[in-house]
Amino acid sequence: MTTIFKNKSYDYIIFLALFLLILPIGYMLGIISVNTISLWGRYFCFAIAAIGLDMLWGYTGILCMCQALFFCMGGYGIAMHMLLSSSGEGTYGKAIPDFMVWNQVTELPFFWEPFHYFPIAIVCALLIPGLFAGIFGYFIFRSRLKGVYFAIITQALALAMWLIFLRNETMLGGTNGLTDFKQLAGLDLTASSTKLLLYLISCIVLIGVYIGSKKLVNSKFGKILVAIRDSESRIRYTSYEIKNYQLTIFVIAAVIAAIGGILYVPQTGIITPGRMDVKASIEMIIWVALGGRGKLKGAVFGTLLVNFLYSIFTSALPGSWLYVIGILFIVTVLYLDQGVIGLPQQIKKYFSKQKSAEV
Amino acid sequence: MVTKRIAIALKLLIVLIPFISFAYTKDDDIHLLMSADKTIKSEAFSRILTAKQVETFPVLNAINGKKLFAYKGNLVSIGEKNGTEDQVTYQVLLLYPEIKPLTDANNNELQIPLSALKPIKFSRKDRLSLIPLLPYINLTSSDKDLRKLAYTQFQNKSKFDDLPIIKKASAKETDTELMRFATETILTIQLQNSKQPDKQLEYIRELEKNKGDNTIFLLNTFLEKNDVLAPKVEKRIQQAVTSLNNRATRIDWIQNLFSGLSLGSILILIALGLSIIYGLAGVINMAHGEFMMIGAYTTFCVQEVFKMSGGPLSDTFFWFSIPVAFLVSGIFGLIIERLIIRKLYGSPLQSLLATWGVSLVFIQLARTIFGDLTSVKAPTLLSGGWHVAPQLVLPYNRIFIIIITIIMIIITFLFLYKSRSGLRIRSVTQNRNMSACLGISTKKIDAMTFFIGSGIAGIAGCCMTLIGNIVPDMGQTYIVDSFLVVVTGGVGNLMGTIVAGLGIGQFTKILEPIFHAVYGKVIILGIIIFFLQFKPKGLFPPKGRIADD
Repeated sequence: MTTIFKNKSYDYIIFLALFLLILPIGYMLGIISVNTISLWGRYFCFAIAAIGLDMLWGYTGILCMCQALFFCMGGYGIAMHMLLSSSGEGTYGKAIPDFMVWNQVTELPFFWEPFHYFPIAIVCALLIPGLFAGIFGYFIFRSRLKGVYFAIITQALALAMWLIFLRNETMLGGTNGLTDFKQLAGLDLTASSTKLLLYLISCIVLIGVYIGSKKLVNSKFGKILVAIRDSESRIRYTSYEIKNYQLTIFVIAAVIAAIGGILYVPQTGIITPGRMDVKASIEMIIWVALGGRGKLKGAVFGTLLVNFLYSIFTSALPGSWLYVIGILFIVTVLYLDQGVIGLPQQIKKYFSKQKSAEV
Repeated sequence: MVTKRIAIALKLLIVLIPFISFAYTKDDDIHLLMSADKTIKSEAFSRILTAKQVETFPVLNAINGKKLFAYKGNLVSIGEKNGTEDQVTYQVLLLYPEIKPLTDANNNELQIPLSALKPIKFSRKDRLSLIPLLPYINLTSSDKDLRKLAYTQFQNKSKFDDLPIIKKASAKETDTELMRFATETILTIQLQNSKQPDKQLEYIRELEKNKGDNTIFLLNTFLEKNDVLAPKVEKRIQQAVTSLNNRATRIDWIQNLFSGLSLGSILILIALGLSIIYGLAGVINMAHGEFMMIGAYTTFCVQEVFKMSGGPLSDTFFWFSIPVAFLVSGIFGLIIERLIIRKLYGSPLQSLLATWGVSLVFIQLARTIFGDLTSVKAPTLLSGGWHVAPQLVLPYNRIFIIIITIIMIIITFLFLYKSRSGLRIRSVTQNRNMSACLGISTKKIDAMTFFIGSGIAGIAGCCMTLIGNIVPDMGQTYIVDSFLVVVTGGVGNLMGTIVAGLGIGQFTKILEPIFHAVYGKVIILGIIIFFLQFKPKGLFPPKGRIADD
């Protein structure tokens, strides 16, 4: 902790003061609505997933285009638990979720069974994305796929999984996804107090994940990751088993994304396959790119910034969002290589260059 | 005397009655339909109904469709609509004794506005009494599907009395598919109503030779319905059913292979440009699918322009739109290259993100300008299909796409390997710096390559209008697949792109009927990942020094 706060920058203090003090206090005083609170809570969940992506892309140089898939896997896990814990209270009073009744399913599919109990459900929601990433990553990294090849394969994976989740017979709600949650671990999800609690939990988990990730990337392991990014072959020649490192960080990123998903779904109240399509994953990449990749701070900042802009533009100028995000993509890639976080440095460099040119 | 005269008159009358009634031929009844007197008209109508003569069916059909008119003492109906919006004219069809278009003195087809025709109306009751006769009169309908339906109905009824009417009606049939239906129907009725095994064998043999659409079903029901069949007949039927079933499976396979070929062609058309550009500049162009979308919308615009210029929309617009789509998409590609991609050469991941942004902007732009759904009227030349054999129809539009792809592949090959510009492109692909040293303007080469690559995608879009609607995000559907083609084939390798495109297209269509389309896609992804375990650089990996990172 102390090493992190030793930085003379004030952004940590601003972050903590704004989101742990001002927003909750503003809510208690009645200035800020509970919806705003919940909205920021959701952005924190995205930020958690973005931290994982930044470790993959910013630190290791692997552009993963299926981060939203792992995010949703975690989300679906917790959604299944919430549906089961309130089953019997649905419109039909059956022990299975309502959408199964519509699909003429009478028995709970076997893979839903573990999700009856909260701790097991959480473990499953983290383990399944991790395992999936492990198996998939093993084959990919084994064949030394990297760069563009890796991006395209993960993109195809995201597309394929999206199509599978869209199907009704996979028993995951099809296009409509899972919704109509009532309670989580005994808490009423519609109550404002629960929303505030979830917001605070998301915020704290985000801080926790951030600190953990920071330690990871500053450790020896993290240094090797950066070395892999900068020159894969040199690291290979110094007899490091690269694929183990890549696989480890890939799994860690997937689990981190799943954590984000688990926290996200109780706050939105719905999870659909639309959250995991190709577009969603690429959007996560722009959060990291805009904030500044290779800096965990940047990933968090970029996520919050893009999502904040999204909420402004969609309410003020509907239909303009795709233009905005499209142009953001282009401008970030062309001119903001360091992201917004690196902008001051970039400007300083530019001016010092000019000065030296004058001299 | 008086009584005697009356008696003679009566006798005469009795003798004459048959002649009088004989004088009421069908001809007269038909003409009586034009009578102004409602009762006479109605009586004539019911007499026609009871007579059930094939020649009168077209007239009945017209009555059923409320399209019966009188024109210069003839019963006519209207055919094709022609003319412009202010002056709509119709082709006029003479209905009796046979259907033929009316001609004027110079033997040209008459074109008459609706006002010149006098409609003949019938009461609802009269028209309702037509219903039992519908299967019969549908046999001479101008609508193919109705005729097909009528034949199917007769196949299921199989009444011997209907045979003469069906034979007479089907004699005028010209369409090969419907002739097959007619033969099937006649043979089935004969088979159902014959008792001699030898005759039955003969009919079964004919049915098998005819290869009708419903033959398997009809033979099976015949087998089920008749308990007492000669053993040799039973055996023959089973034999015929097996051979027809085998044939059906074979045809399914051919159809699948064909649709796989056409899917592969589309993938190749899109991946061709992607592959060349990536090989040359190390740029992943995610907006490539949007160049295809631009090509499709260009086709739409060309159609609208042709419509505005007045006159009926002919096929010319489509042939015209192919080069236009190439140009427009190419120019868009050029602009994007100049503004954005030029700065990202050699950094594929960055270019991937930037071009993704470009594609988002393009999609939204198309949505703002054109709305959500537009479509192009496919040229009449390309509608329908090639009837290779009974039940095997290859749609012309798919054949056209395959031909276009072959042409584009040949042109690209000739361009790359036989022209000076192609030589330069290849040299820049191999070694950019060395080429620049030798005086090749690499910037010009890049721009040209981008223009051509985007243009080919535009042609792909033009082709896509033949098989579906134009939607703003149509490019996204194919972009992931075509990237897989590029990856599998080996980046920057034409041969690899072609082989991988065909392979992925074929695999998709082969797996689709076995599993669901979605799972087919997942399996293909699995196969590709498995394949890349052994050949991480694709089918045809680049050799030599360019293979180094």
